[in-house]
Amino acid sequence: MISMLYFVVESMGSFCSRQQPLNEVDSDENKQAAEIDKRIDRETKAEQHIHKLLLLGAGESGKSTIFKQIRLLFQTGFDEAELRSYTSVIHANVYQTIKILYDGAKELAENEPNSLKYVVRTDNKEIGENLSEIGSRMESPCLTKEIAKEIATLWNDTAIQETYSHGNILQVPDCAQYFMENLERFSEVNYIPTKEDVLHARVRTTGVVEIQFSPVGESRKSGEVYRLYDVGGQRNERRKWIHLFEGVTSVIFCAAISEYDQMLFEDDTKNRMMETKELFEWVLKQSCFEKSSFMLFLNKFDIFEKKVHRVPLNVCEWFKDYQPMGSGKQEVEHAYEFVKKKFEELYFQNSKPDCVDRAFKIYRTTALDQKLVKKTFKLVDETLRRRNLIEAGLL
Amino acid sequence: MPQYQQQASWRLEGGGQIIDLETAIKDGILGGGGGGLPAGKDGTLGATAEKLDLKKMIEELDSAAPEDVPSVFICPISLEPMVDPVTLCTGQTYERANILKWFSLGHLTCPTTMQELWDDAVTPNRTLHQLINAWFSQRYLLLKKRSEDVQGRAAELVQSLKKVKGQARVQALKDLQKIVVAHTSVKKTVADSGGVSLLSSLLGPFTSHAVGSEVIAILVNLCLDSDAKTSLMQPARISLVVDMLNEGTIDTKINCTRFIEMLMEEKSFRWEVVSSLSLLVALLRLVKDKRHPNGMAAGLSLLKAICSHEQVRSLIVSVGAVPQLVELLPNLSPECSEPALHILDDLSTAPEGLSALKDCPQTIPNAVRLLMRVSEACTQYALSILWAVCKLAPDECASLAVEAGLAAKLLLVIQSGCSPELKQRAAELLKLCSLNYTTTLFISKCKLTRTIQ
Repeated sequence: MISMLYFVVESMGSFCSRQQPLNEVDSDENKQAAEIDKRIDRETKAEQHIHKLLLLGAGESGKSTIFKQIRLLFQTGFDEAELRSYTSVIHANVYQTIKILYDGAKELAENEPNSLKYVVRTDNKEIGENLSEIGSRMESPCLTKEIAKEIATLWNDTAIQETYSHGNILQVPDCAQYFMENLERFSEVNYIPTKEDVLHARVRTTGVVEIQFSPVGESRKSGEVYRLYDVGGQRNERRKWIHLFEGVTSVIFCAAISEYDQMLFEDDTKNRMMETKELFEWVLKQSCFEKSSFMLFLNKFDIFEKKVHRVPLNVCEWFKDYQPMGSGKQEVEHAYEFVKKKFEELYFQNSKPDCVDRAFKIYRTTALDQKLVKKTFKLVDETLRRRNLIEAGLL
Repeated sequence: MPQYQQQASWRLEGGGQIIDLETAIKDGILGGGGGGLPAGKDGTLGATAEKLDLKKMIEELDSAAPEDVPSVFICPISLEPMVDPVTLCTGQTYERANILKWFSLGHLTCPTTMQELWDDAVTPNRTLHQLINAWFSQRYLLLKKRSEDVQGRAAELVQSLKKVKGQARVQALKDLQKIVVAHTSVKKTVADSGGVSLLSSLLGPFTSHAVGSEVIAILVNLCLDSDAKTSLMQPARISLVVDMLNEGTIDTKINCTRFIEMLMEEKSFRWEVVSSLSLLVALLRLVKDKRHPNGMAAGLSLLKAICSHEQVRSLIVSVGAVPQLVELLPNLSPECSEPALHILDDLSTAPEGLSALKDCPQTIPNAVRLLMRVSEACTQYALSILWAVCKLAPDECASLAVEAGLAAKLLLVIQSGCSPELKQRAAELLKLCSLNYTTTLFISKCKLTRTIQ
């Protein structure tokens, strides 16, 4: 700024008096410096108009899926090269999944009271052992038709099916069924993953990824510019880097509500929902988010819907005072409202009185459903735009 | 005569001139369809049927579109338009009932000319009658047409809402809201054309604020039946309303409060519906917003209604309602003081509420100030709060109260025209407060002279 001022003063001098500046040699340098300053100034101003959104949440809460969805919706999506790059990921996911199921069946057969139903058929055992070995390798081989057939056979084994339905104490990924159902396609020679496949693919996020986008509305105006950040979800040193996100426009906190009966990947004695609860509390208390809006995405509603009938909410300590009221769709709604109220309560308990004005909204999401994510994001966009107008005093 | 000139200036459909009255009645002014007039085959109306309809038309026009009725249509006795005009031998015309009454009182004169009547016959003035009929019918038809237009437009809008999306939907809703507010007849049209259930269906978890706020603005002006209200109480819809209460303009906020109040009147209402922290926080924010007094009043009204359900009281206390309301008390308008005190009184029945009241330092002074200041109801609530707080912690609170001038106020209550129960309460509280003082000291606190004690 100072050198810019100097530049201005200097040039004023030269315009008015047409005198040569004393330090003519430096004038080029000064010009450059001034240009740089101007650029910095412009970009800082531009930066201020970019709304920064931070995706937070426990591991496997769906943050990266939301991230991918936003890419698909508002950017050019995935090009062929990128889609191809997911082939090996998906193959690896398939091996990992079947390994977890087979190993899990063995474990349950040893420890559970009704152990017989977890015992794999004799002729499938060899397949199982083989696959389990493959799954433990660092690099998975390509998925061939033969292996795919073997996996399918194993998957259809009643013991494996039984294991799958009791998958909560194991680390069976939520999209296990999707992978198993599409084995044939995955094992095609010229297989290129579809968008759907990519959305289901599981890669643990390390570091920070960001995308910048502009949600194009029906009026086709470019509207607001958003930058979305996705950080890893596991229990690493969050407190060290979280303050780098000070002053983000909004925190999008993803909570997978279907995981109330599951344990953490990092620590299988800890209930995932309790971890989410603690994380949310921690995030709320951070002073760097005092002015940020909070959008809570209660994710994996599709899985929640089905699970509620099988597994009562009370298995999670946080939900121990839940009282089921009926059955069918009404019960699902009732359960959802209960969970929502719990999060609401948590929010208000952990928000300081002067934070009461920050926006807090809860959205029911199913991150894999593109239409739903689009609709949800439209609402988020509307809220943030209104907030902007309110703050500018225009509303 | 003036009325014939006026006749020439009537605008008929098609712009035709009136040739004769018969033609006018048959083709133009009293043409078939609309207006609800039973027309005979040749266009003339039966005598009695005419009279009833004419009376009805006159009444409706009088209330809906008051216009200057031509003076020659007015009965000189009653100054009302004539339904059955009769002419005397003097040539003056009056309403039949009125002139017959005049005669029955013993007068055999013409009221306007004061002439003695040489002939007591009253002749029905058919010509004038038909003119009056025609004049009123034309305007009545126009009125009906205009109102039908509006109703037609409303029905059209409701139909279009089934199809349009996005910005067009928002505009249709805005238009519908304007019509509903301006014309009461439209409310029924909307209800009849399935509008209510359609509007309800537009409220869901993915409804944008723009659409939601307009829908609520319409629904709040309609009469909703029991089923409609029950379906609107679904949690997803209530959540949407709460969101709008948080984020909307002041008008939207007020509409949402009134909307929830409407739902609360329904029999099937359960307190769980309003046991939402977000709702209570949003309401408190509305109540505290001094820039919008009507918002404060609406918020207090709803909060009072919610507070009447005792299961929600501890939740209300947990969002810090007590100190926030207590702090508001000195600056509230009289209309707002009553609901505010009522809420605090209700909250005092919950243990958390009572201790919050006790802990808030402004409770006692503000409550004392409001005694005998606004209304008997306010005094009753303030007294009840003070009683509860002093009973809870007599040592602390009683002295605070007395220092704030409670004693003098209580004496005022006792001497006033308030209800006996209130006076009794005041006396008991006075006794409670006096316990820690000697008589002389206490009397000085009451600021009374010895003689009055």
